[in-house]
Amino acid sequence: MAKTLAMFTDTSVCTGCRACQVACKQWNQLSMEKPEWTGTYQNHEHFTEKTWRLVRFKEKRADDGRLKFLMMSDVCKHCAQAGCLEACPTGAIYRTQFGTVNVNQDVCNGCRNCVSACPFGVVAFNHETGRVNKCTFCNDRIHNDMPTACAKTCPTQSIQFGEREDLVARAKRRLAELKAQGEKEANLYGVDEKGPLGGLNAFFLLLDKPSNYGLPEDPKLPQRNVKTDSAFSIGSALLLGAGLVVAFRERGGNGSSGEEE
Amino acid sequence: MVRAPEWEMYIVWYFFLGGIAGGAYFAAAIADNFGGRRDREIAKVGYFIAFPLTLICGALLTLDLGTPSRFLNMLKLFNFWNPMSIGSWGIGAFGVFSFICAFLSLSDSEGLLTLRRNIAKVGSWFGFFLAAYTGVLLSNTAQPIWRDARLMGALFLASGASTGLASIAMISYFRSANLGESWSKLKKADSFAIVVELVLLLGLVLMLGPAADPLTKGRFALPFWGGLVALGLVVPLGLSFLKPGDGRERTAGGTLAIASVLVLIGGFLLRYVVLMAGQL
Repeated sequence: MAKTLAMFTDTSVCTGCRACQVACKQWNQLSMEKPEWTGTYQNHEHFTEKTWRLVRFKEKRADDGRLKFLMMSDVCKHCAQAGCLEACPTGAIYRTQFGTVNVNQDVCNGCRNCVSACPFGVVAFNHETGRVNKCTFCNDRIHNDMPTACAKTCPTQSIQFGEREDLVARAKRRLAELKAQGEKEANLYGVDEKGPLGGLNAFFLLLDKPSNYGLPEDPKLPQRNVKTDSAFSIGSALLLGAGLVVAFRERGGNGSSGEEE
Repeated sequence: MVRAPEWEMYIVWYFFLGGIAGGAYFAAAIADNFGGRRDREIAKVGYFIAFPLTLICGALLTLDLGTPSRFLNMLKLFNFWNPMSIGSWGIGAFGVFSFICAFLSLSDSEGLLTLRRNIAKVGSWFGFFLAAYTGVLLSNTAQPIWRDARLMGALFLASGASTGLASIAMISYFRSANLGESWSKLKKADSFAIVVELVLLLGLVLMLGPAADPLTKGRFALPFWGGLVALGLVVPLGLSFLKPGDGRERTAGGTLAIASVLVLIGGFLLRYVVLMAGQL
């Protein structure tokens, strides 16, 4: 098996140029969409079936009272424990040899179970094709020894592409650097393989709490409760079954009511 | 920030009718196996409800996909711990059982009756499954309300039981079936299902805590409290305490039929408010 590939997005050097967003659209031939007014420079509000890289512009009031931007190029996290993959009833969503998560368009049948299962709201239903779309981690490029289009194009190296191990080491060094420079809130999101969702293959260095970027603080695998919920259902079935047996049971043992016709 | 799966009216109707199909079937199976001669009529009505509803359920699910033939893609995989995957297989298996039982109900032969009863013993488990799995499917997503609703499967199963029994009672009444004391058995069974459903619903809301707000406050408060809880559960339960005048069974049937219509409305509203409030 090939080594796990990853993307490390260092938001501290993101300038919000959105070259990644454009490169993604161009390489993956994603058509244009009507712009939305979101109140900031961010466009769109959220991922769509045609917007797989999205630069988020979050406004934050700094200690001196001035507004500043938290900028972050967001993308599918290619989770090690992926809710969408677990949810897919057709096997259309699969894990590649590089550890990324992909949707096989020929097999997807548009049930939207993956849409409901993604903790990050990444997977989007495409009404034109009746199937779902999301970032493919440039599946065609990585199978030809090329970096993802967004990482290749990023002018500030905010998005870095490579083997996960190397990038994790780099991210940790960078975090230590920033901490030393006084960025007290800086943190790594999705690096820890023992952490939420078994680690993210697209992970981030954030300058503020994840929730201030619109990310869940503690994302969980949605399917972790199947056994508990099934056990409650079985209990309910046994209770109702027993109640109905009592209600319908013939009293007296000789079926008296049945014989009175 | 999660994204709603856009599960709309096709799915609301599927959850509702699938619950009725499963509930009517397992109620029929129990009446068939544990009841007397008159209860066989109830069983037959249950089987005759379950089978056509299963066909409608299949149609709703394939229509929801937009390209119906893509439903076959669901059968490329059997993933035991994936509610939607196992559900696709389960509804197929349930369809087979409900078809056989409905078909065998066309005859009054004693030999076929035994066969029908034995098949229904196995099939009833698929009926329980069909009524419950849709709830487990919802509670294993990332959507608000659903993801924290540990009792959703149990609740949908109870609703399947109450609506399944209600549909049997309603249809029996309208075809003027001579059910004799089976009316009171139906009433007893339905009241029990309603009580279980009320307790589970209360438990679910309490376990959700503030997460239940979109369901219990705001635009869904009226259909939830007024429609589902009051009209769909509490009123039918109250009606079941009315004493039939002069012990006339027909009157008892009439009250039960009214209660049944309310239970069915409540069962529909349950699926509607849960699906819509989770996707706000």
